[in-house]
Amino acid sequence: MQFSYEVNDSYAEVKGVGRLNMVAAPKLREVVAEVVAAGSSRVVVNLAETDFMDSSGLGALIGCLKAARQAGGDLRIAGVQPQVRMVLELTNMDRVLTAYPTAEAAFGDD
Amino acid sequence: MTEVIAHRGFHGPSNEEAIEAIHNELDALWDDASFVPDMDRMTFATAVIEAAANIVQHALPVAEKPVEIDVDISVQPTRLVARVSAHHAREPFADDMQASMPDSEAESGRGLALIEALVTTVTFERQDGTNTWILTRDT
Repeated sequence: MQFSYEVNDSYAEVKGVGRLNMVAAPKLREVVAEVVAAGSSRVVVNLAETDFMDSSGLGALIGCLKAARQAGGDLRIAGVQPQVRMVLELTNMDRVLTAYPTAEAAFGDD
Repeated sequence: MTEVIAHRGFHGPSNEEAIEAIHNELDALWDDASFVPDMDRMTFATAVIEAAANIVQHALPVAEKPVEIDVDISVQPTRLVARVSAHHAREPFADDMQASMPDSEAESGRGLALIEALVTTVTFERQDGTNTWILTRDT
């Protein structure tokens, strides 16, 4: 899986392309930790090109959410695809990780 | 005998590369069995990857031989079947067999609960140093 990020005025967008599985999960944690350490604690993880997520990937997102909140910010997800939505719903984590249609919409109201 | 319409497998060391290779086999399986609905592909592939990841993350070797993972997936007329095995592995710890969903703060421990939610039956077998998960999903 490939990760990239871009820092905007009001939030940082982390994009993941591929499968968010046990191989990619530690990389996501590293990327978000780097973004938060650099001063952007409002993070959107854009999953529009993430076609698969397993429980390790979900665990990484939860860890990243905690890291962003500890730094005074938040982590939101956007562009969720059907398989990822299914995993979020079956684990009841859709209530904690709210999905927004796009990265722009994720912090749009704040 | 049960008719097998399409079949794929993987055998190799229990490591991260195995997870990607098994996922590629699953994708190839759907190419061979294009009639399988998207919902069934999605749920079954997720369960197989969860079972394989559980082995890679938790299975410990019984002696000097490293753990090997073996996956056998078949499409039958009305169901999908996967056998996911860990060879040369110790019996899993009870903690690794926890099948209830942890609280929302937890960063791990959802794999088995997720597998149970995704498939029709989950069976675990241990024989001669091999742990096998048998997952089936009625289609």
